Amino acid sequence: MPEHTFANASAPGRTLTDLEGPGLKQWQQRSHLLDTDDLTLEELNTLLEAARICSSLISKQEPPLSLLNYSTVANLFYENSTRTRSSFELAARRLGATVLNLDIASSSVAKGETIADTAKTLLAMGVNAIVQRHSASGSAAQVAEIIGNSLKIINAGDGWHAHPTQALLDYFTISQISPKIKGLKIAIIGDITHSRVARSNIRLLSKLGAVIDVAGPPTLLPSELSAMGVKVHDRLEPAIEGADFVMTLRLQLERQQDGLIPSLSEYRKLYRLDSTKMALAAPQAYVMHPGPINRDLEISHELANDQKRSLVSTQVANGVAVRMAILYLLLSGKGKN
Amino acid sequence: MTLLIKNGLVLPSEKPQDLRIKDGIIVELGNNLETTKTEKTIDASGMLITPGFIDMHTHLRDLGQQDKETIASGTKAAAAGGFTTVLTMANTEPVIDNVAILAFYKQKIRDQAVIEVLPAAAVTKGLQGKELSDMAGLADNGAIAFSDDGMPIQNLAVLRRALEYARLTGNIIISHAEDRDLSAGGIIHESAVATNLGLAGIPWAAETAAIAREIEIVRLTGSPYHFTHLSCAGSVRLVRQAKEDGLSITADVTPHHLNLSVDDIGNYRTCCKMNPPLRSAEDQEAIIEGIKDGTIDAIATDHAPHTDLEKEQTMATAPFGIIGLETAFALTYQKLVREAGLSHERFFRLLTSNPARILQLPEPKIKAGEKANLAIINPNFSWKYDSHQGVSRAHNSPFCGRSLHGKVMFTIFQGNIVFTAAERMSHA
Repeated sequence: MPEHTFANASAPGRTLTDLEGPGLKQWQQRSHLLDTDDLTLEELNTLLEAARICSSLISKQEPPLSLLNYSTVANLFYENSTRTRSSFELAARRLGATVLNLDIASSSVAKGETIADTAKTLLAMGVNAIVQRHSASGSAAQVAEIIGNSLKIINAGDGWHAHPTQALLDYFTISQISPKIKGLKIAIIGDITHSRVARSNIRLLSKLGAVIDVAGPPTLLPSELSAMGVKVHDRLEPAIEGADFVMTLRLQLERQQDGLIPSLSEYRKLYRLDSTKMALAAPQAYVMHPGPINRDLEISHELANDQKRSLVSTQVANGVAVRMAILYLLLSGKGKN
Repeated sequence: MTLLIKNGLVLPSEKPQDLRIKDGIIVELGNNLETTKTEKTIDASGMLITPGFIDMHTHLRDLGQQDKETIASGTKAAAAGGFTTVLTMANTEPVIDNVAILAFYKQKIRDQAVIEVLPAAAVTKGLQGKELSDMAGLADNGAIAFSDDGMPIQNLAVLRRALEYARLTGNIIISHAEDRDLSAGGIIHESAVATNLGLAGIPWAAETAAIAREIEIVRLTGSPYHFTHLSCAGSVRLVRQAKEDGLSITADVTPHHLNLSVDDIGNYRTCCKMNPPLRSAEDQEAIIEGIKDGTIDAIATDHAPHTDLEKEQTMATAPFGIIGLETAFALTYQKLVREAGLSHERFFRLLTSNPARILQLPEPKIKAGEKANLAIINPNFSWKYDSHQGVSRAHNSPFCGRSLHGKVMFTIFQGNIVFTAAERMSHA
């Protein structure tokens, strides 16, 4: 992370409790975080400000805060995830919240409990926020509708639909380098069809005025994708031409077995990002990846290690900061209860 | 028992008439029929009287899935929609694919049904698309049509044999046309909506490709064939061409494909999940055009009840299907008569004589000597549909909360009043 010079670092000595203004109010009145499309500009600005503060706390290795001492956050992961779950857990602990990690395999969900009932059970136990990941698109919205305002649902990934905290940490990472998103050229490369990361990023960054080009195997581009406000390419090269940031996506290896791509070697040849291909991008272009990387399939080993170009580690670090910021903003308004 | 219906408009007549029914038969049709003291009377002023509707695509779920619907609840729902005949699909548990199950099913119909229930039987054993069911025996024992609805036959050699063998029965085969490889994993219409919601799509080609293949088998065998619930423009085009080629092909559409598009799915509304899926607005228009030019012969509901619990799952796991019997008339009358300008005569044929012809039933007529199966309709009655106040056991309707114009006020089956709107409304 210290390799990059970041713009607009937070004013020294600022703390989360110094935050104020309409953005903070809107966050505190917000019921849930389901996707990036309903966030206001005020909310986004407040989030960046809060994330800067959190980022500085983390890099200074400050002891955990006690701001959410009275809150309990449940990590409810119906799908395996080491990174996102660890990131949320660290974020919650750094704010002093109690964290409950639900082992889904041994819970009643495996015995047929519905996702709504599981959420209601956690509500009845006094949980204040559920961080939910589920394989079904729309599952977060569905639980939120049933739960109402009584606890906060934070969508940590629903099927192919949305992964708002990933998009927000990507946004934070980009904004540290280029504070103005409008006019930035961002390329998203890979399996768009199955990617909630791509969808949430497209919704957020296009709303902020970025020019987005996507590319991937034609069999992994969903129909009428351009309706989301992006330019769609079958080949990588035109998509990354002049790009300021190139986001590559994880390729699930079973896509090959499902017949969606002929072979991994062909994918590597056509869509793997390396230094040669990056020469098409803007002179100081950065590479991003939500992780975990299939090295040498999505990004060349050498490019992934290029600290001048790769933002992958920064994204991971910023993940904790942004999730801290989100948890704080959503939960701090409720008072001590 | 006798019943006198006064001052109703019996189409195509333009003046109100009275109608007397005795022992299930229409005995008199005329002006100012005298009322006798013992006779029950319905005042049908301002109302239309038509033959009871025929739905050639219903799922009553009874055998095996009575949590969703029973023959009792489903036929009452049908009566509330003006239907006096429904053709029920064979994908029950167990599947109606042999004479013993059919006999058991018919006994349940005798015990519970308030209107006529005509069973369709499976084309292939267990709906597996491999071995033909005993079609001749099933037809001899009361199967009116054959369909592997829900599990469409993929193997054209099997379909060919089915169409040839069906000659022994004279019954129509009804096709839910779908290429299951193209539709595999799909949840809603492949579209910008599916892309945005992150749901796997069902491309229109899953339907049109299947229809195109099946039309060629009809051309080869010459047997009559019916495509149910056309959902897209390409299907209408293919059926239109097949009819122009002189093939004995017919088709129906559902009220929901006429009234809704993929955009109505909104935020993962599972009550909008059905198969075939809601398509684009252009497809909707093409279907209406297909009705206007006679390509499409009938309206069929594909009434597919599911429990609330089943439909409260995620979009991916909730079952396909919606209920439709109670809203079919109002939705299609609005769309086709009021908006598309279809004549009363042509509109009511879609719900009465056309399905009767396809199923080789006697043509429903309102005249002396005919069976008294009637729907009495107030076309201008405005009401708000609430599936939870409805008659069906299931509530899975995308039209819940919608204001509808036009309502079936009475349904008469074999001379008996099997539905009265006022009764429902008094405790609604």
